[in-house]
Amino acid sequence: MSLNQKFDEYYKTKLVRPGNGCCPACGGPIAWRMILEGLDKNTVLYGGAPCASCNMSTINLPQFGLHFSSVGDGAAGIAAAFKVKGREDITVLCSSGDGGVGDISFGKVSACAERNDNIILLCLDNEAYMNTGGQKSGLTPYGAWTTTTPEGKKTKKKMIPMILAQHRIPYLATMSIAYPQDTINKVRKAKGIKGFKYLHLVMPCPTGWRFQESKTVEVSRLMVNSWTWPLYEVENGVLKITMKPKQIPVDDYLKLQGRFRNLAKQEIAEIQSFVDEERNRLVEVEGKNIWI
Amino acid sequence: MTFRAFRPEIDQDQCKRCGVCATYCPEGVIAKMDNDYYIDYRHCKGCGICSNECSSHAINMAREKEVS
Amino acid sequence: MPVTRMMEGNEAAAYGAKLARVEVVAAYPITPQTELISSLAEMIARGELKAEYIKVEGEHSALAAVCGASAAGARAFTASSSQGILFMEEIIWMPPGMRLPVVMCIVNRSVAPLGTLRPDHNDSLLQRDTGWIQIYCEDGQEVLDTILQGYKIAEDKRIYLPVAPCYEGYVVSATATPIEIPDQSDVDAFLPPYKHELYSLDPAAPKPRRRGGSIAQGRYDICQAMERAKGVIEEVDKEYSKRFGRYYDGMIEKYRCEDADAIIVTMGSITGTARDIVDEFRENGKKVGLVKLRVFRPFPTEELQEIGKKVRAIGFIDRNTSYGAVAGNGIGCVELGRALYPLKERPVLLNYFVGLGGTDVTMPQLRHITKRVVKAAETGKAEKEVEWVELEKLEE
Repeated sequence: MSLNQKFDEYYKTKLVRPGNGCCPACGGPIAWRMILEGLDKNTVLYGGAPCASCNMSTINLPQFGLHFSSVGDGAAGIAAAFKVKGREDITVLCSSGDGGVGDISFGKVSACAERNDNIILLCLDNEAYMNTGGQKSGLTPYGAWTTTTPEGKKTKKKMIPMILAQHRIPYLATMSIAYPQDTINKVRKAKGIKGFKYLHLVMPCPTGWRFQESKTVEVSRLMVNSWTWPLYEVENGVLKITMKPKQIPVDDYLKLQGRFRNLAKQEIAEIQSFVDEERNRLVEVEGKNIWI
Repeated sequence: MTFRAFRPEIDQDQCKRCGVCATYCPEGVIAKMDNDYYIDYRHCKGCGICSNECSSHAINMAREKEVS
Repeated sequence: MPVTRMMEGNEAAAYGAKLARVEVVAAYPITPQTELISSLAEMIARGELKAEYIKVEGEHSALAAVCGASAAGARAFTASSSQGILFMEEIIWMPPGMRLPVVMCIVNRSVAPLGTLRPDHNDSLLQRDTGWIQIYCEDGQEVLDTILQGYKIAEDKRIYLPVAPCYEGYVVSATATPIEIPDQSDVDAFLPPYKHELYSLDPAAPKPRRRGGSIAQGRYDICQAMERAKGVIEEVDKEYSKRFGRYYDGMIEKYRCEDADAIIVTMGSITGTARDIVDEFRENGKKVGLVKLRVFRPFPTEELQEIGKKVRAIGFIDRNTSYGAVAGNGIGCVELGRALYPLKERPVLLNYFVGLGGTDVTMPQLRHITKRVVKAAETGKAEKEVEWVELEKLEE
């Protein structure tokens, strides 16, 4: 067998094959490859958010989608249909970007959480509306350049995981492509729970965040290690921090990215203090039930 | 004919077979065949993540050759 | 044995959905649809209907959930009105485009700002371009029957288009009339379980949605399905009449049209009052007939052309507004005008706006309209081609 033939045989054993339309070094396909390791063939995908949807055509699972203004509700319909048919064994995974989950479908996501719909809702967050050229979303961080916030965003990132935690859902987790085993474990855990599960992965975007292509995974690692994007899970209200890296300065993370190029020293110091305060509060509630 | 500017090349002597490159490749085109790691150049986009993540410095990003 | 009970139109609709054995309901309340969805919730809670009921937080989500459910193989149902229909507009294009055979009741209510909670037809007629089959129901019995017929039409392999049974809020939805509830076993013989031939989301045996062909081809296919729907609507109505004893004449109902010179055309509940007016005029020796436009999409072009060949004047009664439309016409009259265009000799075409914003459509108003149409038939011309009847001084 030639090498190419060997590769073709190899791809048959995977749920995703190469040939996606994403930018080179996009965090999305990296994320999908890890997430699919945590799932199996008995899965239906719903969604197809911009960006992440460039990857969907290469995934070998049945798929259905409407618009990114319909995150969650269509998946709830699919889950209801499978329940009526006695097929609750099928995992329904709804995926969308930060624009879908955090902005235009925010109400829908909240409703799915409140109803405890039996789906996994996955947010593949690249911190802006990247597929349309990089406009700001509610999940764009403070200080970031986007085409609609050219002076740097003046407001902070909307923290969806904590908002959904207060909906008293059975499970939620934050994830990073730089910690593949942590990611796969969380996906597997979600798959085994009945009810509404929320998984939020921040996927660096070299095109929109303006960093050198080869550094996608590195940027994600710095994001976690600076505690800008801490990795935790909340199971039945109890918070557990799953990765506790030794904290590095946030500037080590910011300075690699063109979207933060215009931050003044004072603004970087501000960001450092937000990150420190939020880290402290997170550590304080670790092991406790945060449903208030 | 390719759209790549650079292509990753694995130095099999330096390579420690840790598999990190395969884990992080966005296209999933790095795989272990027998005891060595290979890259499927039909689909590699030349992004360089594998080279950046390799702790053994076993992957070099070489300029894609000019095609006549 | 079928059972007859007094019930409001909304409850009759709920019985229709129950007898159709719908499997997933996703709905958001809006006056005047509310009792439909709360009746369904009660039926499910009492165990009379085995279905999943997703209590969505908005109409946009209601139809999205219904699309997901239908794609995943369940018979799905929803209903809404006015602002709710407009709120789900983005998703309304999905079932026809994706060939999902869902049924959605549109409980007509006028649209804000120049509207009330009471009915007119703008909310449903706005959807006339989207590919939904639209059937206008005159009373509660027809609503129940049309939901059952609706699934049979929608799920027909030749069609795979969604169906919207439309009925007026308050006048039909909240008015109690005797409703015959067919036997479940008879309905099961008429309406088999839902199985989509074109695709499946079951991971064990997936059938992906065919994406080949151009956009023009995809749209043309839907137009062809609409054409075929005319025949299927007639077929299904005939079969329904054999099994359940009620026949709705397929695309249009012709009342006393055989030798008529003057025709009035109505949609929905106005038809009931209009029949009495026709009888009145007939008693006075006037050759008047009534066409009930039951199906608006696909538009009954051929049937209306046949009528147009034989009569001298037609008055279309529009319970809707289309600002800036050709000749100041309402939506129905515009379509009728185009249907009549190829005729060598065309009848006088008149247009009457009534019941806008849900005002009552009265006998004096319909009498006035019919007098005008009769005069046009006699003289061969219209004094006034378009009349806003509520703003006119009525003829005695």
